[in-house]
Amino acid sequence: MRLPALARKTHKWLALIIGVQAVFWTISGVYMTAIHIDTIHGDHLVRAPDQRPIALTGLVEPGSLIPGGTRSVKLESQLGRPVYVVDAVPGRMLFDARTGELLSPIDEAAARERALSHYAGVGGVEKIELIDVAPSEIKNRAVPIWRVEFTGLWRPTLYISPLTGELVAKRHDLWRTFDFVWMFHIMDYEERTDMNNALLRVATWMSVAASLTGAWLLLYSFRRRRRARKKAAA
Amino acid sequence: MFLIRTLHKWFGLILGLQFVLWSISGAMMALLDHHKVSGEPSVRAPVPAIAPAEPLSLARVAQAVGGPVHGLKLKPLGSGYVYEAATPTGVKLVDAVSGQAVAIDEVKAAALAVAAFSGSEKVASVRKVETGDVETRSLPLPLWRVEFADKEQTTLLLSTTTGEVLERRNNTWRLWDVFWMIHIMDYTKRESFNHPLIVTMGVGMSWLALSGVILLFRSFRRQDFAYVLDPIERIRDERKTRKQA
Repeated sequence: MRLPALARKTHKWLALIIGVQAVFWTISGVYMTAIHIDTIHGDHLVRAPDQRPIALTGLVEPGSLIPGGTRSVKLESQLGRPVYVVDAVPGRMLFDARTGELLSPIDEAAARERALSHYAGVGGVEKIELIDVAPSEIKNRAVPIWRVEFTGLWRPTLYISPLTGELVAKRHDLWRTFDFVWMFHIMDYEERTDMNNALLRVATWMSVAASLTGAWLLLYSFRRRRRARKKAAA
Repeated sequence: MFLIRTLHKWFGLILGLQFVLWSISGAMMALLDHHKVSGEPSVRAPVPAIAPAEPLSLARVAQAVGGPVHGLKLKPLGSGYVYEAATPTGVKLVDAVSGQAVAIDEVKAAALAVAAFSGSEKVASVRKVETGDVETRSLPLPLWRVEFADKEQTTLLLSTTTGEVLERRNNTWRLWDVFWMIHIMDYTKRESFNHPLIVTMGVGMSWLALSGVILLFRSFRRQDFAYVLDPIERIRDERKTRKQA
């Protein structure tokens, strides 16, 4: 077989196998690059954290909450009130820092109030539920967890931990679409996390071969018009 | 179809090199084990610690910090416990028993790094990073950079204020990072994949791929699949003749 014919044939067959995936790669790539990653992360959905000073006087001593079983304690403001988030041997807990009262697990009203205090978008709460099975958009997060969906654009959803009262995750449809196209980009159609799967490894090297044979084919694909005309004239 | 072929050819000529680069860098990133890249094997899980039964009182913490706080943590650091106070002028560390201010100096940073490193190799160098580079990315500066004498040249980047390990680097990551740079076309900071160049390239490349797929419909003839189709037809014909008989 002559070289141009060989180049054409290999390029054609490689493209038959990898062509559709190449379309997926490029289109998913455009989506991921065109929308800023901060927007995907939903940074615009929440307010900046409360930076007002907390008066330490009159607060319950952090060591007295779970004596002998405390791993770490964090003092922060929730809904404008000082609270302790405690990581202890029995688990994670939330306390009122002024009274020492145990606040966790927080109920629906408390979760709603916290979600509203974080939310910076328009619209109110559409749906609030305590879920026992983590959906794929927050996999690896501890359950049960409060899922608070808002009525705004692209179904903004905040996840609040019932144990700590903290904002755990923020999601919206732009994030969900990103996750979907990411699945096509790394070709892990199950977990959407494994970038070293065998399918991707084989497909990417086929793409290397397809693009290189394409470059090879370019050598035979362009003619110098002027010389061709001269020949025609002669 | 002629127009699509011409367009495919010219898009290939102009964007082809980037397609090759995206393919190669993508293939290499798929090849390099992501657990190794993120330095997971070099992480030593912290020993679960229990806070002292009677830590420093809040009154003495306030005294030691000497200003307003908007956040306070009681957390393990090294072999003991500290209070980490977030103040308008930065983070302050106070020993949770003695009340002494804790500074993350060179010795302390090295000790914290050793405790967080799973290997048995010694520390090769400790350096304070004042100006950022590709390794420190957008982490807050200054940082302690502790490099180990292992094969992977594992490097831990620690906060000079909290003593926390903020990032891990190693030779697999350093190699991976070169391909990442090529893939996201951010050749200086290697950080952002949201810039006009890559979006433009991506749109052009989408057309290159799509036009290629369209051309596939014209590039194959029955003859190309003869080795599969011929036997099938032969079997079909045989069945027909058998039925007729």
